[in-house]
Amino acid sequence: MDLAFTPEEQAFREEIRAWVKGNLPEDLSHKVHNALRLTRDDMQRWAKILGKKGWLGHGWAKEFGGPGWTAVQKHLFEEECALAGAPRVVPFGPVMVAPVIMAFGNKEQQERFLPGIASGEVWWSQGYSEPGSGSDLASVKCKAEREGDHFIVNGQKTWTTLGQYGEWIFCLVRTSTEGKPQTGISFLLIDMKTPGVTVRPIKLLDGECEVNEVWFDNVKVPANNLIGEENKGWTYAKHLLSHERTNIADVNRAKRELERLKRLAKTEGVWDDARFRDQIALLEVDIVALEMLVLRVLSAEKSGKNSLDIAGLLKIKGSEIQQRYSELMMLAAGPFAMPFIEEAMEAGWQGNYPGGVTANAPLASTFFNMRKTTIYGGSNEVQRNIVAQTVLG
Amino acid sequence: MDFDFSDDQEQLRDACAKWVEKGYSFERRRATVAAGGFDRKAYNEMAELGLTGLYVPEDLGGMGMGPVEGMVTLQELGRGIVIEPLTQALIAGAVLAGYAPDAVKADWCGKVASGEALVVLAHTERGLRYRTDSCKASATQNGESWALTGDKNVVPVGDQADAFLVPAMANGKMAMFLVERSAKGVSANGYGTQDGGRAAEVSLKDAPATLVTLDGQTALEHAIDIGIAATCAEAVGVMDQTLAITVDYMNTRKQFGVVISSFQALRHRVADMKMQLELARSMSYYASLKLNAPTNERRAAMARAKVQLGNSMRLVAKDAVQLHGGIGVTDEYIVSHYFKKLTQMEIAFGDTMHHLGEVSSRMQDTAGVFA
Ligand SMILES: Cc1cc2nc3c(=O)[nH]c(=O)nc-3n(C[C@H](O)[C@H](O)[C@H](O)COP(=O)(O)OP(=O)(O)OC[C@H]3O[C@@H](n4cnc5c(N)ncnc54)[C@H](O)[C@@H]3O)c2cc1C
Repeated sequence: MDLAFTPEEQAFREEIRAWVKGNLPEDLSHKVHNALRLTRDDMQRWAKILGKKGWLGHGWAKEFGGPGWTAVQKHLFEEECALAGAPRVVPFGPVMVAPVIMAFGNKEQQERFLPGIASGEVWWSQGYSEPGSGSDLASVKCKAEREGDHFIVNGQKTWTTLGQYGEWIFCLVRTSTEGKPQTGISFLLIDMKTPGVTVRPIKLLDGECEVNEVWFDNVKVPANNLIGEENKGWTYAKHLLSHERTNIADVNRAKRELERLKRLAKTEGVWDDARFRDQIALLEVDIVALEMLVLRVLSAEKSGKNSLDIAGLLKIKGSEIQQRYSELMMLAAGPFAMPFIEEAMEAGWQGNYPGGVTANAPLASTFFNMRKTTIYGGSNEVQRNIVAQTVLG
Repeated sequence: MDFDFSDDQEQLRDACAKWVEKGYSFERRRATVAAGGFDRKAYNEMAELGLTGLYVPEDLGGMGMGPVEGMVTLQELGRGIVIEPLTQALIAGAVLAGYAPDAVKADWCGKVASGEALVVLAHTERGLRYRTDSCKASATQNGESWALTGDKNVVPVGDQADAFLVPAMANGKMAMFLVERSAKGVSANGYGTQDGGRAAEVSLKDAPATLVTLDGQTALEHAIDIGIAATCAEAVGVMDQTLAITVDYMNTRKQFGVVISSFQALRHRVADMKMQLELARSMSYYASLKLNAPTNERRAAMARAKVQLGNSMRLVAKDAVQLHGGIGVTDEYIVSHYFKKLTQMEIAFGDTMHHLGEVSSRMQDTAGVFA
């Protein structure tokens, strides 16, 4: 056993760190370090920089143009990006749909879609959830009917993250009502510019429009946008879920945000309040424990000896930590987190934030926004059901 | 010991409940939030019901009522997450009636009671956190008149209020003053707050002020305790409604072919919410029944109450959103507004950690009767 990374891994980390330092635009890291609002352009700018280097699909195998990194290398890359304040990579293209296209798409599809994902040119969205189908995803109703060499899609998706920018959306659609609900689902790629697609943003409790409703009204989708076989979509979706492993815990971001919390606590004068500092200390222990859990998963992947099936635990603990640090940041500012001044969350705002510390402006909004982390990506209740199932049988 | 409400108190509750239900719809509230977070008309409607004068003695034009009536009222306002700050009227009425010289009382108490004057507490300052023993704002005396200089932050409806109750240092000791917003040297910059309400940065530059009392700390701590008791009561109303909304949703939302209220994991969460709600209601009673106790006893009681209420608010607010799933984090659906209200109330008049510190430092090493 050894807690340290190997010399090669450390050298790799140095290489990544230097590259990120030289290539991450300062205005972007400034926004990330201060929780200011990111525009579509901000997110895509970073995606394209990574894309150019061949690292947007940093988890991809070499044969598909990825760097072919080990699990540990991927982790180190993600950590260096997070600590440096890089915007989070919007995962729908490179992390979610690409692995499905690689595993189950045909050659033509791989050639058609992967380059646009790898370069960061094409914006993808995830169209799984529906108004009636959240935790029970297998009950999706959005219908795709085969007509010659096309599908005709009718129905609605919802909660589509950043779908207002989406150019393509990968959907679970109902192609059969026979048998078990899981066996009538197909995995379909839809060009969002096709006539009949309507996107309506949903305002969330923090005032931002981060998710959308997406309607399909007789949308004509070429049959060669179907991934794999008809009615096998559920299997592919599950494969996708198994790909969101350690990054679901977001421990790297938590490490960065812990430091921001400490800075805020100092500015707000609660760093010297033992009662408050103990709360930060508890969080720090939580984050170290989560990191050790993540590292154990990576080690198991590396050696192939002990497979650790604890994705559910990572999701539960990781999301709770995200909520906790955002809560402590808000509490550190106390009354000064309560003004709701939307302009103050934009970079370069020149106004006077109450009390004079503009860094407090996004704290409550972030705390509100973080409620989502225990709901999306399989709610924490559903995760606990899964964990319980693995423990109890 | 008797925790029953009198007929008069029940009537007051009914009157408030009726106004909230008929007069303060969620649509009206939403429009008020969009328009800046304060509606003087709604405030005046509460005044017409006599609510703004609850704590003003009858001979000064008020209702001359006590903490239990205050509690009953705020609970009902909490149900409708009313944003117009009645708590501020209760503070102003009680502080002016309790501490101000007769002439000042005669000038202001009637106007506070009638709603003609909205007077709010302007005590928050950057760097003070939740301290009440000093501040940076200062007062200078010139014969009979006083002038105040300083900045007060996040003052409730500060740019719409008619006057402020302002703690300021006079000759090394904190005193309490009344400053009119229209006075020269006073400026107020307003903005919306996270709960949909309104606040302002109030800046005083040699602003003419009226002395309320030279014992400003006593008056401020009393003001804050009235605020705590009121916030506790309001929070109970907000939580009552939050739980009701959540239960309604759980009994209609279906996943996996059944209503989600059939999942045992969620049922236990609801049981915990109910537990926290009833502990909170109990401690809100405790706070109200201790509000007129001797200072030390009152302060200790308010701190205990705010700790319980803070813990309850946090759990109920978070679970309510969580049990809704995605719909819970949208602006369109009502529960997120209850969540935000509870979040802000936990911070109002000192957060849970602050009051835990108060309880801790006042703790006796002898067991005894807590009440
Ligand atoms: C900000 C945000 C972004 C999102 N982005 C996307 C996206 O890009 N694409 C996409 O397809 N979806 C997205 N989602 C949807 C997300 O995956 C769903 O919200 C989630 O699956 C929960 O579904 P629901 O909202 O319908 O809640 P429901 O499933 O109705 O759940 C309501 C409550 O019941 C609980 N519950 C449900 N079933 C059980 C059970 N069996 N046992 C115990 N408790 C249970 C839940 O945990 C929850 O507390 C997003 C959601 C949010 C909030």
